[in-house]
Amino acid sequence: MNASSASFFVTRLCSVMDKLVDKCIGSRIHIVMKSDKEIVGTLLGFDDFVNMVLEDVTEFEITPEGRRITKLDQILLNGNNITMLVPGGEGPEV
Amino acid sequence: MSLQKQTPSDFLKQIIRRPVVVKINSRIDYRGSWLAQNGYINIALESTEEYVNGPLKNKYGDAFIQGKYVTTQKRRM
Repeated sequence: MNASSASFFVTRLCSVMDKLVDKCIGSRIHIVMKSDKEIVGTLLGFDDFVNMVLEDVTEFEITPEGRRITKLDQILLNGNNITMLVPGGEGPEV
Repeated sequence: MSLQKQTPSDFLKQIIRRPVVVKINSRIDYRGSWLAQNGYINIALESTEEYVNGPLKNKYGDAFIQGKYVTTQKRRM
């Protein structure tokens, strides 16, 4: 794959992803991080790096006890450590 | 509860000079007033307190946090 076809592929992928995440704005989303942490919140917005602004957020630490931290108001989640997005997800079962 | 579309850059404009909590990993929290950040989400805070599980170190004055390790920043009411 040469450089121009690779960048075309990346551009297409980004536009597809943008449309997917755009559909989620205003609804609940469940985010799985690279570490043992999951976040559930209402999606307010995101940017090109999939940094996300969320509201009414619950944070789950996946430990043997399944600890939970609830945060209201708004957070900015760094997109660097996000592994997976689940639209409409409720989070892990505790 | 306001629900309008808000990108990360809008969020960051709103929180200047507001008290925030910056999470580094599951154990460490920094609470201070948001001064500035750059494109890599390196952050400058003022009158910062460091919480490791419970409050451990206290820093006053300015703190610089490297964006590579930041997990979340939340606005504190």
